[in-house]
Amino acid sequence: MITRLFRSLVMGLLPIALIACMNSPPTAVQSSAAVPLGIDLGGSGQVTASPSPRLPADAMTVKGEAASSEHGGGMQMAHAGHNDAHGTGTVNSVDPAKHKVNLSHQPIPEIGWPAMTMDFPVSLSVDLKAITPGTRVNFTIEQQPGGMYEIKAIAPAGGGR
Amino acid sequence: MNPFVSPLALTRRRFLQGAAPAGVSTLLQWSLRGALAAPASVLSGTEFALAIEEVPLTINGRQASATGVNGQVPAPILSWREGDTVSLAVTNRLSEPSSIHWHGVRTPAPMDGVPGLSFRSIMPGETFVYRFLVKQSGTYWYHSHSMFQEQTGLYGAIVIQPRSGYAQAFDRDYVVLLSDWSFEQPETIVSNLKFQSDYYNYGQRTLGTFVEDAQRRGLAETVADRLEWGSMRMSPTDILDVSGATYTYLLNGQPPGANWTALFRPGERVRLRFINGSSMSIFDVRIDGLPMTVVQADGNDIVPVTVDAFRISAAETYDVIVQPGPDRAYTIFAQSEDRTGYARGTLAPRAGMDAPIPSMDPRPMRTMTDMGMGGMEHGSMSGMNMDPGSMPGTEHSSRPGMSHGSMPGMQMDHGRMAAMKASPEAKQLQGSVGVDNVAMLPTERLNRAGEGFPPGRRVLTYADLRALKPGNDPRPPSHEITLHLTGNMERFIWGFDGKKFSESGPIELKRGDRVRFVLINDTMMEHPIHLHGLWSELENGHGEYRPYKHTINVKPGEKLSYLVTADAPGRWAYHCHLLYHMETGMFREVHVA
Amino acid sequence: MSAFQILAFAVAAFAADAAAQAPAMANDTASGTGLPPPSEMQPVMDRQIFTHAISNQLEGRANGSNTEFRWEGQGWAGTDYDKLWIKSEGTVSNGAVDDGQQQFLYGRAVTTYFDLQGGLRSDIDSRPTRNWAALGIQGLAPYFFDLEVTGFVSGEGHLAAKLEASYDLLLTQRLILQPQVELNVYSKADPARLVGSGFSDIDTGLRLRYELSRKFAPYIGVVYEGKFGQTANFARATGERTGDVRFAFGVRLWF
Repeated sequence: MITRLFRSLVMGLLPIALIACMNSPPTAVQSSAAVPLGIDLGGSGQVTASPSPRLPADAMTVKGEAASSEHGGGMQMAHAGHNDAHGTGTVNSVDPAKHKVNLSHQPIPEIGWPAMTMDFPVSLSVDLKAITPGTRVNFTIEQQPGGMYEIKAIAPAGGGR
Repeated sequence: MNPFVSPLALTRRRFLQGAAPAGVSTLLQWSLRGALAAPASVLSGTEFALAIEEVPLTINGRQASATGVNGQVPAPILSWREGDTVSLAVTNRLSEPSSIHWHGVRTPAPMDGVPGLSFRSIMPGETFVYRFLVKQSGTYWYHSHSMFQEQTGLYGAIVIQPRSGYAQAFDRDYVVLLSDWSFEQPETIVSNLKFQSDYYNYGQRTLGTFVEDAQRRGLAETVADRLEWGSMRMSPTDILDVSGATYTYLLNGQPPGANWTALFRPGERVRLRFINGSSMSIFDVRIDGLPMTVVQADGNDIVPVTVDAFRISAAETYDVIVQPGPDRAYTIFAQSEDRTGYARGTLAPRAGMDAPIPSMDPRPMRTMTDMGMGGMEHGSMSGMNMDPGSMPGTEHSSRPGMSHGSMPGMQMDHGRMAAMKASPEAKQLQGSVGVDNVAMLPTERLNRAGEGFPPGRRVLTYADLRALKPGNDPRPPSHEITLHLTGNMERFIWGFDGKKFSESGPIELKRGDRVRFVLINDTMMEHPIHLHGLWSELENGHGEYRPYKHTINVKPGEKLSYLVTADAPGRWAYHCHLLYHMETGMFREVHVA
Repeated sequence: MSAFQILAFAVAAFAADAAAQAPAMANDTASGTGLPPPSEMQPVMDRQIFTHAISNQLEGRANGSNTEFRWEGQGWAGTDYDKLWIKSEGTVSNGAVDDGQQQFLYGRAVTTYFDLQGGLRSDIDSRPTRNWAALGIQGLAPYFFDLEVTGFVSGEGHLAAKLEASYDLLLTQRLILQPQVELNVYSKADPARLVGSGFSDIDTGLRLRYELSRKFAPYIGVVYEGKFGQTANFARATGERTGDVRFAFGVRLWF
């Protein structure tokens, strides 16, 4: 009877554990010592217009320049409404349990990203069987309401190295 | 609800029950994030229960007793939504009266939390229910307004979600609450300062610095410099009254070694809500390798401006957005203005990472400009010319030991000084017990960040703050109120116009008045001046796009002005937000009838 | 009325005047807001009473032949404007207390850096006791000199004056060299106390202290006790030295 109780307890806790694991921050489980972590209050969600930044007053070299110079400061802002982006890269590792992959990808100009190596959560509807470490892939990412990017399509890239 | 009567037991139970959902949601957040989250919690919703009590605190292995809320220091982050009516039942479990003031949040006067002006205090054992409509959004904070409880830990962040959404997109959002902690009792700190005002200053000029200066600038000039300061009985090494000699600087309640970490995914935009919740400290903040785009000041949107560093004085807030690209860690570095310590956190893709901690910059020195003897460049005599475009533009940084007289073309014109007569108000102040200096030639220098920044670093100045939308009240001021920020460092007395709070009456305003406050800082220290209940629209050359602030840091020897619309009736506190200055007299009541 | 009584009256009147000028408390009417007036709670308590005391000299003084013990300190309690002071000094040598001067004063802050003090001085030691009325100033003079200048009037109308000055020279943040001088002048000789008229005596020293903390600083130094004029004659008559250089070691404490 105890075994039966124990089994049902585990069955009951399993979905909760799965949910907990899926929503965990990128690499919380890998962290070592108990470093105090900040609480993420979440992303901004949809925004309206985003004025580009300007340089501070004391960096101006031209005397008498009007205070409102709207010269773009070099920081790209993701345009609201463009949630999809496409990229290519190479798979470094796959984590089937957490359904995520680590990719080294090329720059993604649509969202202003440079070439990077990073983890991506993968949409549950995507089958990761064909994705193995070393595979060159084309992928599509979509920004989630929380602000993070999730892979919604990924497939091996045809052709050469 | 009559705020002067404790609510009935029934009401109290209802509020405690009401807090349960908030508590449960916090628990859910915890389990979803993993048990490695810091003890700080976020309370959200519209019903809150806060308990003020003594909590044990351990900093760097040393234990102390602090004043906490719901068992923690800093107090929990309160997450509100613009447009909601919030109820906060605050129970005082201390053995002395307490209070909570919602800094920067415009509430009806009885909800403002200032003992003696808003209400009597929350007496020991009492529960006071604050209730008000939230009519603004942004980053704010809350703290005790009773005695020195703000110093012993009663401070926390408020984040108000905007009803119409954010002006800039971001993916992650962290509160960075800077504070100062001492193991000494605050009453002892004040007592020490009353006996020896440079008690905490271990950066004074010595025989060694005299020899160094003489080698660099010559004996005659060094002697002249020492005599100049000595004749005023002032020291240019007075930066902050209470220093790292007793303070440990904290970031979200964590000392530098604890490595508080905010996680991000490379490429994400991270919003950092910097709050200076300290009692006596001014921080210079930067993240090496990561420029910061400042998007809000004191909770109000500004046209984004990208800087490498900013100076944040007590009670101010700045929201910045950073976008770390590479997969590496960054150090959030907040050094105290006198370079006696720093607060530190890390921005990293994974917990456990850290980045090199920069060494502190050289300690700044006060100059004759700080003493109110005029600007370093010509042309800054009086007049209200605030347009930053017309001011000579090069950033001047003062290296330690650099004397006013040593730059060619910058000789202090002693003839001009002698010829200049003191204004009648200055004559009255000079020599009195509460005043050790009067600024003869206060300068307008909002386009200067202040002393202590190396050349080439882009530092935020007040002139950079341009509101995103024009102000609500287009009227020019109907009258001006000029106040001198005064103090006597030797006796550690601070006040306005040479008088302590107990020696002066209230400043009277009529409801609907549009008034200009002119502040002249006769002292050689910064004072973050905070007006409760009303917005201070800083006149910094942007016309109707002048920024709305609740706390304005006036530099030594500086003169600045701001416009106020007296649209909220009540008895409002108006004071320097350096706690020990406030408690020794730098406080006034602004009464809007 | 003797000079003593006049002075005592003046001090009392001064104190009463200061009390009368006690600043009016913040107004207690709240108009137009419908608020009941807040009660005794003030938003800030800026008229607190502080208490401090310091031992400027708490030392053994040794020359080749013997060692004396010397103390010189002061303490006060009060607000920014009004304080009650106690000052005390004396030297113990060969079992007898000499050069004892105690003062009990009321002090009022009058300018940025100076307090006006008035009250009573009692010379209490192994010699006959003398009482004086005292009036003087104490504070920080330009160039950071600590200064005390006090005048005295005795019951018989004799006058005296005392000047004390010192300066703190920082060698490092914690190592401080302090030259110090005390000078006494009397209008009339007091043979029972071995005090002559005119410039009477000087007690001066150069002390080097190390501040282990601000409140606790051991020191070593060199002191010179000198006697002039008629006082010197008295000293010689009793076989004492008129000029004495000693090595001092002690601790500067305060709370």
